[in-house]
Amino acid sequence: MTDCFNYFSYQYDGTFEGLLTCIYEAYYRHEVPEHICRGDTVQESLLDCSIQIPTDRRKADKVLESIRVKISKEALRHAFYAYLSELDDIGVWIYRYLRLGWKVGSAVDRHLREEEVWTVQEASRKVEGEANRMLGLLRFRELKGGIYYAPMGPDHNIVSLIAPHFVDRLSDQQWMIHDVKRDIAAVYNTKDWAIAAVRQKQALSPDKDELEFQQLWKQYFQSITIQGRYHPGLQRQFMPKRYWKYLVEKNG
Amino acid sequence: MELKDKIELLAAAAKYDVSCSSSGSSRQGKEGEPGSAHLAGICHSWSDDGRCISLLKILMTNQCVYDCKYCVNRASNDTRRVMLTPDELSYLTISFYRRNYIEGLFLSSGVIRDPDYTMERMIETVKKLRFQYHFHGYIHLKAIPGCDPRLLIDAGRLVDRMSVNIEMPTGESLKLLAPQKKKESLIGPMRFIRDTIAEQRDSSRSIRSTPGFIPAGQTTQMIIGASPDNDDRILTLSEGLYRSYRMKRVYYSAYMPVVSHPMLPTVDKPPLLREHRLYQADWLLRFYGFSAGELLDADHPNLDCLVDPKSDWAVRNYDLFPVEINTADYETLLRIPGIGVKSAGRIVNARRVGALDGADLKKIGVVWKRARHFVTCQGRYYGSSFRQMDQLKQELMPYQAAKKLQTGGSEQLSFFQEILPRTKSGPESGLQNLFLVKAGEIG
Repeated sequence: MTDCFNYFSYQYDGTFEGLLTCIYEAYYRHEVPEHICRGDTVQESLLDCSIQIPTDRRKADKVLESIRVKISKEALRHAFYAYLSELDDIGVWIYRYLRLGWKVGSAVDRHLREEEVWTVQEASRKVEGEANRMLGLLRFRELKGGIYYAPMGPDHNIVSLIAPHFVDRLSDQQWMIHDVKRDIAAVYNTKDWAIAAVRQKQALSPDKDELEFQQLWKQYFQSITIQGRYHPGLQRQFMPKRYWKYLVEKNG
Repeated sequence: MELKDKIELLAAAAKYDVSCSSSGSSRQGKEGEPGSAHLAGICHSWSDDGRCISLLKILMTNQCVYDCKYCVNRASNDTRRVMLTPDELSYLTISFYRRNYIEGLFLSSGVIRDPDYTMERMIETVKKLRFQYHFHGYIHLKAIPGCDPRLLIDAGRLVDRMSVNIEMPTGESLKLLAPQKKKESLIGPMRFIRDTIAEQRDSSRSIRSTPGFIPAGQTTQMIIGASPDNDDRILTLSEGLYRSYRMKRVYYSAYMPVVSHPMLPTVDKPPLLREHRLYQADWLLRFYGFSAGELLDADHPNLDCLVDPKSDWAVRNYDLFPVEINTADYETLLRIPGIGVKSAGRIVNARRVGALDGADLKKIGVVWKRARHFVTCQGRYYGSSFRQMDQLKQELMPYQAAKKLQTGGSEQLSFFQEILPRTKSGPESGLQNLFLVKAGEIG
């Protein structure tokens, strides 16, 4: 038990295992923390008292297994995707969602009237939506040496979700998908892929043909528009401006 | 001539073909070879007109022996003619693909020399992609009407989707505007493709090694507004194409006045709203269990431009409503304005663990503005009371449209002109957006 009278929050190391460990602790200590937050995003307040929860692989695995068996695989997916959303306070919502899940079992996703179910599903949908969108919007540039490099700045932490698609599709290319916001990347060498931390300093130099293909693509993009149907609002609805930064055809 | 100039001309010449979707095929990649196909299709970009870009949509050549009145590439038009070789086309496709610009290739062409020769050149391109580059991505090939059926079989084994454009909703319109194309020469290949797909499917049940034949099926397209055909005829035709020809999609293309001709109507703007309403009605046919006869008949030959087709149907059949949301079956839920396939599914799921009320429905994603007039939740009705059906109809219109009607009392026709999207964007021109279903699905 904690010594805090008012609000208290849990802090974890930012990994999914860390979050699951928090959920384990909260469940067995019969506590509902005000926040469950990643170590790097903590905001201290006077009445708030935060408890460090060290990540424990064994406890995390137990929770994982319990979600799979006692609730459903779909609930585990929702919890994981919601975690990737990195939305404010999503940790506590996931905890409340799972608690309901342990009460009602696999029917938890039908309880759309409950706020925790709705919130977690919504977060999960957002992540899935952005991952799907990025399958199309990602742009590779060929660098000297033949590596294809794709920078992106997604709202959610989706790099691990989209990498398998490109492993399957571009299996004979060496490539790297770089999440510039989070300084992580999926790297593939035509055999295996892995997520790695990246700290890139020098500018990357493109292959000699690269700029030419970018010109051709821009030309195509321009020619395919029907001027009589000009409708940039509709374009932005599907392809919001925040994604343009890395789009070749939008001068990214 | 530079590749860039060719792209400029041949992409511009292909842009009136509506189909862009890369859906219907599911194929895993092969290790060490590029390409895969995603069942739902993937949109890679959206051009400045808001249409999605999924495939490299391009003509092999804009030369053409035909002289269809409505077409930019018609023989009598004075324009520069260019051609992309199979080498150029396949190299361009694979290079774009490796950069994730596109899902694959959508190749169409003007007719050079004769249909067989044209089709052979196109197949050569596809073969290069499949055998030289080992490309496993998506390919959509336009079938050239009048070509040898054996060429269709050759092509069908290599590509994901094929299409023949039906061009006009009726034979008479076709005769008038595309005199060299015969209805039979368009319907013939469609029927042939349909039968070959069915044949392959049958034999693949008994013989495992049967080669695939256009796994993503065939589609077609017609031009809206160039001929005097009404919506009833168009929709009935679409229904027939879905039912008897097993089309995956029928596309509608608002007539763009690209050329002027005494036989063609003079329009300032393409009938985009009408095109949009047809797509909505098309969706009702395919996913909502409606038939063309329910939506339109001799008394209502055209779709209402002010409200969506489902709302229009519901107003005319108001005696069927309101429906109790907690007990109605799925098919009935689908017929309620403001409820779509997704929200109907969610309602069915959610009500199993507890009765739903109005607030729950909003959360679930129901468009409450429209749905509330047609449902009860645990016996409670949330809608307004009406003396006349016109009042109800106004409630279902986009806000600006209803306001306009009230203040102006203007006739619908002039109004129709006014709410066509402008060429420049502004808050007002977003009107069309209000009801716009996902264009990713339209594209």
